[in-house]
Amino acid sequence: MYWTNTRAWSPFEELRGLQREMNRLFDGYDNETSLSRFPALNVWGNADQVVVTAELPGLEIQDLDLNVVNNQLTIKGDRKSEKPAEDAVCHRNERSYGAFVRTVKLPYAVENDKVSAKYENGILTVLMPRHEATKPKRIEIKTA
Amino acid sequence: MKDTKDTAVEKVKQKPSEPVREGRVYVPNTDIYEKDNAILVRCDMPGVAQDQLDIQLENNELAITGHQAAVAPEGMDRLMEEYESGTYRRKFNIPQLIDREKIRARLHNGVLELELPKAEQAKPRKIEIATGG
Repeated sequence: MYWTNTRAWSPFEELRGLQREMNRLFDGYDNETSLSRFPALNVWGNADQVVVTAELPGLEIQDLDLNVVNNQLTIKGDRKSEKPAEDAVCHRNERSYGAFVRTVKLPYAVENDKVSAKYENGILTVLMPRHEATKPKRIEIKTA
Repeated sequence: MKDTKDTAVEKVKQKPSEPVREGRVYVPNTDIYEKDNAILVRCDMPGVAQDQLDIQLENNELAITGHQAAVAPEGMDRLMEEYESGTYRRKFNIPQLIDREKIRARLHNGVLELELPKAEQAKPRKIEIATGG
């Protein structure tokens, strides 16, 4: 509210400050990925390649679908629910099932056909080399 | 005084290989099913290799511990971090008697599947009522 005189003391100003603090606290986690937090991703990179790892327990390779377009990686998949037996009684059900999709922005465009991925112990690792055209190029200065 | 980046990195490198205190401890998401002849436990433990897993059944207490492998690739900067490697640990009380000899465990794609067969005397049994003569 731009018309409030900030110098005048107001009991609500304290509350507003608190609210701002709380918003700031959660803002860091609230960018474009806030809709879907599954799977949890780690992104690592250097000047030549970028690596994305995801915690994806209990999938089969054929249920996973990876797509790279320029600087966007999309991980799609379906975690199938499987009851061990028809007559089994469920005591606890904490693991979630169903389809998921996550897109992550990479720091630069990558070579689409050189992307490699492996799936081991429930961790998906995607290695993506940087696209040649986006690599920084040193420019020689010629003396006249 | 704050460490400069170099000394901080140096400190990390000097850490003993056997950590005095473990990293983060997580509770694995678990499904538990019960059949007439067995109890089935499924735990999500991504990043835990087979030799890093410890399962113990003592009296009525089932304890599952799994250490995640460190995930940091070498020579790369961290751009986004949503998970950290640590240790999965969970304990369950199992009221039924379990046939210890026949317990089966399988770790597949980051999911631990445990089958705990019930001991003979714990299986449901129909009780015949003798008619009084």
